[in-house]
Amino acid sequence: MLRRRSFTAGLVTAAALPLPAIAQGKKGGDVVVSQQAQPPTLDAQTTSAQATRNISLHMHETLFARDEAGDPKPDLAEGVDISADGLTYKFSLRKGVLFHNGKVMDSTDVKASLERYGKIGTSAFIMKPVAAIETPDANTVVVKLSQVYPGFIEGISSPRAPCAIMTAEDCAKPAGQGGSIGTGPFTLGEFKADSHALLKRFDKYVANPNYKARDGFAGRKTAYFDSVRFRFMPEGGARTAGLQTGELHVLEALDVPAAERLKSDKSIVAYTMMPWAFQTLMMNTNFGLTANVSIRRAIQAALDLEEIMAIATSGLFRLQPAWQHPNTGYFPGTEGLAKYTTQNKDRAKALLKEGGYKGEELVIVADNSFRNHLDTGTVAAEQLRAIGMNVKLSVMDWPTVLNARLRPEGWNLWPLGMGIEPYEGPYGVVGFFAGAAPVQIKPDPVIEQAQLQLTTSLKLADRQAAVKMFQDRVYDQAISIKCGDIGVIQATRSNVANYAPYRIPRMWDCWFA
Amino acid sequence: MLRLIAVRLLAAVPVLLVVSLVSFGLTLLVPGDMAAELAGPSATAADIARLRESLGLDQPLLGRMLAWYAGLAQGDLGRSVLLNQGVGAAILERLPVTLSLAFLGLGVACAIGIPAGLIAAKNVRRWPDQATMGASLIGLSLPDFWLGLLLIWVVGVKLQWLPTGGFIPLSEDPLGWLRSVAMPAGTLALTQLGPIARMTRSAALEVASSDFIRTARAKGLSEIRVFARHVLAGALVPILTVAGIGFGLSLGGALVIEQVFSLPGVGRLVIGSVLRRDWPVIQGGLLVIAFVFVLVNLLVDLLYLWADPRLRAQS
Repeated sequence: MLRRRSFTAGLVTAAALPLPAIAQGKKGGDVVVSQQAQPPTLDAQTTSAQATRNISLHMHETLFARDEAGDPKPDLAEGVDISADGLTYKFSLRKGVLFHNGKVMDSTDVKASLERYGKIGTSAFIMKPVAAIETPDANTVVVKLSQVYPGFIEGISSPRAPCAIMTAEDCAKPAGQGGSIGTGPFTLGEFKADSHALLKRFDKYVANPNYKARDGFAGRKTAYFDSVRFRFMPEGGARTAGLQTGELHVLEALDVPAAERLKSDKSIVAYTMMPWAFQTLMMNTNFGLTANVSIRRAIQAALDLEEIMAIATSGLFRLQPAWQHPNTGYFPGTEGLAKYTTQNKDRAKALLKEGGYKGEELVIVADNSFRNHLDTGTVAAEQLRAIGMNVKLSVMDWPTVLNARLRPEGWNLWPLGMGIEPYEGPYGVVGFFAGAAPVQIKPDPVIEQAQLQLTTSLKLADRQAAVKMFQDRVYDQAISIKCGDIGVIQATRSNVANYAPYRIPRMWDCWFA
Repeated sequence: MLRLIAVRLLAAVPVLLVVSLVSFGLTLLVPGDMAAELAGPSATAADIARLRESLGLDQPLLGRMLAWYAGLAQGDLGRSVLLNQGVGAAILERLPVTLSLAFLGLGVACAIGIPAGLIAAKNVRRWPDQATMGASLIGLSLPDFWLGLLLIWVVGVKLQWLPTGGFIPLSEDPLGWLRSVAMPAGTLALTQLGPIARMTRSAALEVASSDFIRTARAKGLSEIRVFARHVLAGALVPILTVAGIGFGLSLGGALVIEQVFSLPGVGRLVIGSVLRRDWPVIQGGLLVIAFVFVLVNLLVDLLYLWADPRLRAQS
């Protein structure tokens, strides 16, 4: 027997931003958005790159999408009925939704999209528990799981590497070559690598009638701009200059010093988002010094996190030790965490002695592609040298670091900003430390137990307890350092009306005043 | 002359072969691949391996190498999965940007640098010489990214005369094209102007002490005519060398300029591909850049023959 369930019931949603008033906008205009990076591909399913997400989520939609507070809400689906045993998900689809090529979306497209995601999606693990996908009629999709997986809706609604619904024909394309046709409010006009992506308003877009206004990635989306041009501009100073001159209308991120300088400029509006990401220092519990828990605790005790965050973020940070964002459903609290990060050099030296430290080399691998990563690594290296550790800071480019950190040996600390994972909720965060290839390399039995409880318990309270168990373990065993929360500043020209900052610069439900 | 061109082009074949082999060697030496980049930092090795397979990146290097050379023999530089287009097409698409920058930058640098060098030589150790050489030294010493940002700030933001970045094709809007490349080409010109002016001055000084210049003066030619016609003609060979190197570097990609002004040129394509580990583009891009250098060197050699009758006679 199936029953309609709200998978967000019981979650605390105090973080929900107030929904904007119903849009009263006017159509027209070509808006120009600038972002630093070029998308590696526009095939939304196959990458977790923010640069792709910024663009693809204007073109593509998912069955469920995250709302303003980050909770899943129906988007292309009308809703879902989940069986009492948690093994069957019956999705009823919205009727009359059009793809950009004019085709009406039906259950075969949804089935093909989910199957493609299971094969080549970046977060294909979401589809791992799926035993079968059935399409009893054109507007119904039934997903049968082989095991209970309460995070299924969270997974398919995540914008990280979106489980985009594409046409069945598009789904036949290999990784990197699909995804030019979606159901979103904008269609792809042109993509020029190293230059720009041009999206055009999809005038036949079928907005979700079940909402009154935009709501995160869900809600009722209305496109007002005739076109959206995403320009890829690597140089921060040039992006700021473009915003000042009015050549650009929206920046996905404005440097903190530039935001300070432009405070008095009435033609620019800056929006600060806090929190945006975690700044972390991952540890390799499998190799060398950091295989020793006393040494890891010494590192944990020695670091001055405020100094690290202040330098790594140009001051846009907050010290928040929990491994989930406050005011979200799985926030485990911060009680008892302060005792671990004491910035106590004497205690750190005592722990080094307890761990039998004899001047062995501690290797920090940091990339120079993201300033917060390099600054965190650099400051941490200096702070650890101050307690007598022999620290080697290896600076490489981002792909090389990604390769290095997958190796079981050769590195001890890895500074990483985690943006989308904490936004997704507990599954991305806990899952990063669990499974066959955890980030700390050596699986931890307590974290594995927490992951199992999180992914198989039908009771919310049990899943929340699992996140607390995970957090307590990470601190107690010094498996990773949560340095703090990073903020971000999005900015627009003042004539961009009704803009609301979010995980991407959303160009629906805003217009030129 | 045709024989010279044929010999030089034939000599380019081993150079290009070595470049392609080195670029293949780099795929072995440099860690990381595009699958890891696509999958993101929280992907496991298994996730990356799966994506690598779906992208067709799991083929053995030797197989990829042979297929690439077979394609090259038919004029095909391969295909980029990430760009979703052929490498040759991707490079051709960016050539107008790079050519615009290179021609305009070098043109402006020569138009100012050569007369400035001649004026300095004419007034050696006097204030015009010191002022010209001082200015060229400043142009030579300033980092191009800083110069670019300074121009963006002054000309783009404060004066609002020119756009701060982006490229408009000449075929779409000639005036827009000129406006879009004026600042980056100006920046490039300022960095190339120094070497050209200094080389012109030193070469002109050497030529100015030659017997035939003394003869020209004895014939009663004006100093302007002596320098503009006879000294410049004699000094052209080293100037062509410096200009040729600058032109080759610009065609290979004035990377920093392209980054600062957000121009989709060849340099940015290749560097972006290095950062994304998009090997077909890296291989094709390096090969094309190497070929461009060979062509520019050949062109400079031909210009030597045009500029110096003695070399013409020898050849």
